Amino acid sequence: MASERSRRRALTVGVGATVLVVVLYLTGGVLSGVRTAANVVVSPFSWSVNEVARPIGHFLAGAIDYSDVVAQNQRLRYELGRAQQQANEQWSFERQLEQISTQLHVPFIGSLPTVAAQVTALSPTNFAATVDISVGRDNGVLAGMPVVANGGLVGRVISTTPHGATVRLISDTNSSIGVTYGNGSSTLLISGRGVNNGLGATAIPLTTTISPGTVMATDGLEGGLYPPGLPVAKVSKVTLTPGAATYNLVLRPTANLRQLSYLDVVLWEPST
Amino acid sequence: MRRSLVPATLVTLFVVAFQLEIFSSLRLAGVVIMLVWLWPLVMGLAGFTALALYVALLGGLLFDTHATTPLGLTALVGLVLAYSASRLGREGIGDLDSAAIWVTPLIGALGGFAAPVLYTIGAFITLNFSIWRGSLLQSVVVNAVAFFFMARPMMRLARAVGTLGERARR
Repeated sequence: MASERSRRRALTVGVGATVLVVVLYLTGGVLSGVRTAANVVVSPFSWSVNEVARPIGHFLAGAIDYSDVVAQNQRLRYELGRAQQQANEQWSFERQLEQISTQLHVPFIGSLPTVAAQVTALSPTNFAATVDISVGRDNGVLAGMPVVANGGLVGRVISTTPHGATVRLISDTNSSIGVTYGNGSSTLLISGRGVNNGLGATAIPLTTTISPGTVMATDGLEGGLYPPGLPVAKVSKVTLTPGAATYNLVLRPTANLRQLSYLDVVLWEPST
Repeated sequence: MRRSLVPATLVTLFVVAFQLEIFSSLRLAGVVIMLVWLWPLVMGLAGFTALALYVALLGGLLFDTHATTPLGLTALVGLVLAYSASRLGREGIGDLDSAAIWVTPLIGALGGFAAPVLYTIGAFITLNFSIWRGSLLQSVVVNAVAFFFMARPMMRLARAVGTLGERARR
């Protein structure tokens, strides 16, 4: 009987403490301090786990996947050469686009300064698509700045510390991006569908002409979260909404979000 | 319970470190295996109720401070798992010595199945409506399978930690 009572008391205390922390979080109170304290507590254990487990993991991965690593290296060299060739070809086009953008008073992405960053941690949970990066406020990175890598938009900085920042990926379920396609006259709102599910858009009118392979880029509308012209995603599937005269789109991010090691933070702040 | 607090705290800190450093990168079908939920579940199943609730709260909160999801939600799901498992543990269900060999893994799998669902329901209650659009189905399946295989070894660890205090008292 006594143990039953103590068990209930322990459960009540546990739930009460959790509710208290949730309330503190919602009111934005001591969250920053709690996070810092938790980091201080966990970091020695993380360090020791890393020191022991990483070399073993690398050894096993290297031993098992050696031929894959060699093949991947060759493929990357080929892709790098091709990318350099394309970059050279695009140079003159970019000059023209920059001139037109200047005339139209639209910020041109090629002229915006960037800060290179290394991905230091992936999101530890299945319910948020975020990454931590190695640059922060001391490098001029602020919340709201767009992040690009691997040929397209990756996400947006949501929080910063002096030496680090957290980036919410475009595939996160809380991400929404205004995009344009074709000749730039039509705009859409696409949203993240979760860590493994890429992006999607719903309720597209049947009058809209979109086919698989169409590339979507940020629309850069005034007051938007991103500058114009950043490639975001490619349409991979167009389906008819059951029972409605609209389309649904399944989109694949142009940037490879599964292979993020290095990325660039665009030093551009959304206008308020 | 007090004598087991120190080893339980240390193991929980290592579990959180493993979760953050290893399991976050080692994804199966893109899904993170939630060791921080399995640990309180097996602790409850081993019959150490108060300890299970304690490690659920500690591990969950430490994990939550490293994620961008609602703070306290992982801990809350861990508490529910720990309490539910402790009810079974009290009846000796899942006991490594007396129960059939498949009982503990099966309960683990059920826990792995239920935890992401509970998390999503909790997210709804805390007004995070977008979480259900994520990888719920993959999370449920992968965690159920992973918990099935990891439940018994983790339960041995839980029993070792829980009985440390009793041995010290003797």
